[in-house]
Amino acid sequence: MSEKITIGPFNPELEESVYFKLVVDENRVVEEVELINGFIHRGMESLATKKNFMQNLILTERVCSLCSNNHPFTYSLAVEKIAGVEVPLRGEALRVIADEVKRVASDLFNLSMLTHLSHRHDLMKETLEIREYMQDLKETIWGNRMDMSVNILTGTKYNLNDEKVTFILKTLNEAEPRIKALQKAYQNDAVFKDKTVGVGILPYEDALEIGVTGPVARGSGVNNDVRVKAPYSLYALRPSLQPKVTTYEEGDVYARAMVRFGDIIEAIRIIRDVVADLPEGDTYLEKRPHIPAGEAVVRTEAPRGELIYYLKTDGSQKPVRMRWKVPTYSNWEALKVMIKGDKVDNVTMILNSIDPCISCTER
Amino acid sequence: MKIDEFNNAIKSKITGAYELKEDSDSYGNSNAWVILENKRDVEVVAKAIKAYKGRCVAATAYKNEKENTHTVVYHFDINGTIVNMQLVTDNQSVHSITPILKSADWAEREMREMYDIEVLGHPCSDRLFLDYSLVKGVLNEYISLSKMQTGLSDTDVLWSKINKGAES
Repeated sequence: MSEKITIGPFNPELEESVYFKLVVDENRVVEEVELINGFIHRGMESLATKKNFMQNLILTERVCSLCSNNHPFTYSLAVEKIAGVEVPLRGEALRVIADEVKRVASDLFNLSMLTHLSHRHDLMKETLEIREYMQDLKETIWGNRMDMSVNILTGTKYNLNDEKVTFILKTLNEAEPRIKALQKAYQNDAVFKDKTVGVGILPYEDALEIGVTGPVARGSGVNNDVRVKAPYSLYALRPSLQPKVTTYEEGDVYARAMVRFGDIIEAIRIIRDVVADLPEGDTYLEKRPHIPAGEAVVRTEAPRGELIYYLKTDGSQKPVRMRWKVPTYSNWEALKVMIKGDKVDNVTMILNSIDPCISCTER
Repeated sequence: MKIDEFNNAIKSKITGAYELKEDSDSYGNSNAWVILENKRDVEVVAKAIKAYKGRCVAATAYKNEKENTHTVVYHFDINGTIVNMQLVTDNQSVHSITPILKSADWAEREMREMYDIEVLGHPCSDRLFLDYSLVKGVLNEYISLSKMQTGLSDTDVLWSKINKGAES
């Protein structure tokens, strides 16, 4: 006999507010999935048209905290495209360093959530401890643990000196062996594997049809990493920086977790490569850009996948329209495929395996 | 994928006039723009995107105050190339491409509730983000915070609930 079960909108196992209405059979296998959203909708796209181009740097950094750097980064790319600005090479390099540090911290946070939901709290603690390397790095270089205020129009407001570069390298040297050991611990942990292998499967064909991005896509064998497919910033100017993308065919929670480990290890390699050959010069252009009428569509690879910004301007100081689409927006519908046919006990684990960001999605 | 190649795939099937243009950023990434005159041609473009194994990344709508029309821009991806399809609707309706490209599902539903643009033939009539008590088209006009806080609604649902609570 079927039973109706609801999860959310507020639940200790949910990072943010979402609401699941499920129908499960007598074996507690999910037969029907209904997802209800909108608890964190703030109308930010409307607000963006009331702010000037400088103020929108502040606004976009506050769309969400885990990928807070990607929003102003992508927004800046859109404005710079319309204004015809070429960012100084050192500014491009500094943007990429900040972005990859955020990627490591964000991915480690998601992995800790997965071990939390598998009730492997020693692994979770270890994961969050290692994440502290990145948090310390952020605090030391940018003065803040989440919103780093890296980007300004035409470049970056922060700079690195020899002392800071040494600190970055020292931190990475300490963190990397612990991350590799952590990956092995995840791979060898029977409880974690039991909770994740074969759970929440998204087949390749569904991944393509739904149009998922980021680690969710790569966990199902679809590589649409923007850094490789449409490289931007220093990824375009120095193709050797483009990541060697990790893909898995299995499409389960475990595959998505392992893709994130691959992303983290590549991010560390990218940061090392950039600081080893840091271009000299300015980090931004002194002249404030004139932003004419125009429109631009740009995108970057955030920790969760593709982030796209559409910007339309009319020559005034404010956008006519600004629209952004975050990775979770594309990945959300895939949950219906992943959850249906799986046990109800696995629902929150499957949800967290897409590393959902509801604040970003609903804006 | 080359833009000319995509043009060859759509030009014999499109019924109305259209403009095809291309721009690129300083990193060498090209964007194609297909500007349609006949909004029914969205299906032709969507089918071509599907044939190239592309996906709908997002869709943007905005109101043109002077003309009292809406512009709708779909953003597609074909293996790293962005294809934007733009059209103007003067009666707040477009034909859904979700039956062709499932990836357009959320983008069209959001357009419907934020700009009150009817998406004809869309398989799902549920709201995406906003509650049913809120009016459609909240991004069509400026709404002050004080109005929003007192319940942005064309009904008195909110006050009836409060009054009911006060009576009990």
